[in-house]
Amino acid sequence: MELTAQTSLSLRAENVGHHFGVRTVFSRISFEVAVGQVCVVTGPNGSGKSTLLRILAGLLAPSEGSVEMRVQGRAKTSVERRQFLGYVSPDLTLYRELTAAENLEFFARLQGITLSRDDLIARLTQVGLRGRGRDLVGAYSSGMRQRLKYAFALLSNPPILLLDEPTANLDVHGIAMVEEVIAAQRRRPDGGITILATNEPRELTWGDRTVHVDSTP
Amino acid sequence: MTPPEASHDVFRAGWTGQALTLLAKDMKAELRTKVAISAVGVFTFASLLLLGLATAVLKEVKTVAITRLADPLTVQGLIAQMHPAWDSPSKMGLLWVLFCFAAFAGLAHSFVHEEETGTVTALRLSTSAEAVYTGKLLFNLIVLLVVMVAVTPVYMAMTGMSAGSPFVFITVMLSGGIGLAATATIIGALAAKAQGTGALYGALGLPLLLVFLMLLLNAAGTVYVVNAPMLRIVKDVGGLFSFGILIITMSVMLFHFVWEE
Repeated sequence: MELTAQTSLSLRAENVGHHFGVRTVFSRISFEVAVGQVCVVTGPNGSGKSTLLRILAGLLAPSEGSVEMRVQGRAKTSVERRQFLGYVSPDLTLYRELTAAENLEFFARLQGITLSRDDLIARLTQVGLRGRGRDLVGAYSSGMRQRLKYAFALLSNPPILLLDEPTANLDVHGIAMVEEVIAAQRRRPDGGITILATNEPRELTWGDRTVHVDSTP
Repeated sequence: MTPPEASHDVFRAGWTGQALTLLAKDMKAELRTKVAISAVGVFTFASLLLLGLATAVLKEVKTVAITRLADPLTVQGLIAQMHPAWDSPSKMGLLWVLFCFAAFAGLAHSFVHEEETGTVTALRLSTSAEAVYTGKLLFNLIVLLVVMVAVTPVYMAMTGMSAGSPFVFITVMLSGGIGLAATATIIGALAAKAQGTGALYGALGLPLLLVFLMLLLNAAGTVYVVNAPMLRIVKDVGGLFSFGILIITMSVMLFHFVWEE
């Protein structure tokens, strides 16, 4: 989704907390990400980085606090938020019984995107899967599936990217592809927002700012 | 590296269009994997076989209603009042019990499958709750109708069940199919969200299923009433059809609460 250059876009978390049953994952997390920024969410295993990203994506309601996305001054609901973001995560899976091309065509159609054959090839090329579009996703390696998740996340050219463990299972070319995706996001004329959840030292350097999540009392 | 701009209108596809897209995807995947059709089909035909063996003797048994016996009691009078113990309404009831189990064995798993494989996240990011429910309902309805069309004639031939009034029979089968698909779809969704196993279906589905089966057996009885008054047909078959529509309407309205976390 291309926003105009005048579009104001903001993403803000205020005192966000979450607990599963009696176990508190994290609490009182507050931050705001401005357009053009890359924010890195860090924290030890089990601290709730992925949960925080799911909350930001509108896939999970926070137990406390709120997440606010404003587009042109108007606040969006958690469901509306989804049309402005691309999401890559280990808990996201595409259909193994369909080919990569069929997956992208299916999700594009659901999102109301008209995807021509050239578009499809360009998107597969962008993530390094050119020539493999007719293969079943079930036959893909874990690295190829990760690349396909990027093609899915970028389908609508969203202004916000939420990347959980962004380079998981990727080789050096795959990591370069992710770097290029993040760089392209920074270059967007409307200013894109990228939020990464990672502990990889290399990926920590990609961010302009860091949010640390820790569940330890 | 940036791909050419595709024309897009995110989330504006309309939920009916999205539902049909989802249906087309499910049909394509089903034709490849044959998971639902084989689960429902194998269960149904295995049950048919067992039923045929178990009820072979029943077909010969005849009964008579004591209240109908004339006074004085004669052998001819007794024979005249005799009718098969396992009559067509009972056979129809048993056929629907079979369809119910088959539906829950196969259809309800479509949501569980999405949940277990993790594709549910991509779906939630791409489409609305209403579209998902409608797409799944249409898929389940088509699979169920295919199974019904394949199984019913075989069952009728095996058990000697008559069609009674053909128009009412077809209407009951269609209305029952809609009601059963609607019930199985929403219970499957509830079970998937509850991280459920098969055992959970019974607990979640019992209240809905009980009402459905009562209406269904009522309507099934009407099929075999000779010259049934139109008012009874409308009341019984209409009641069954209305139940299906009610479940669908309520599900579309409330599915959002099941779908969102």
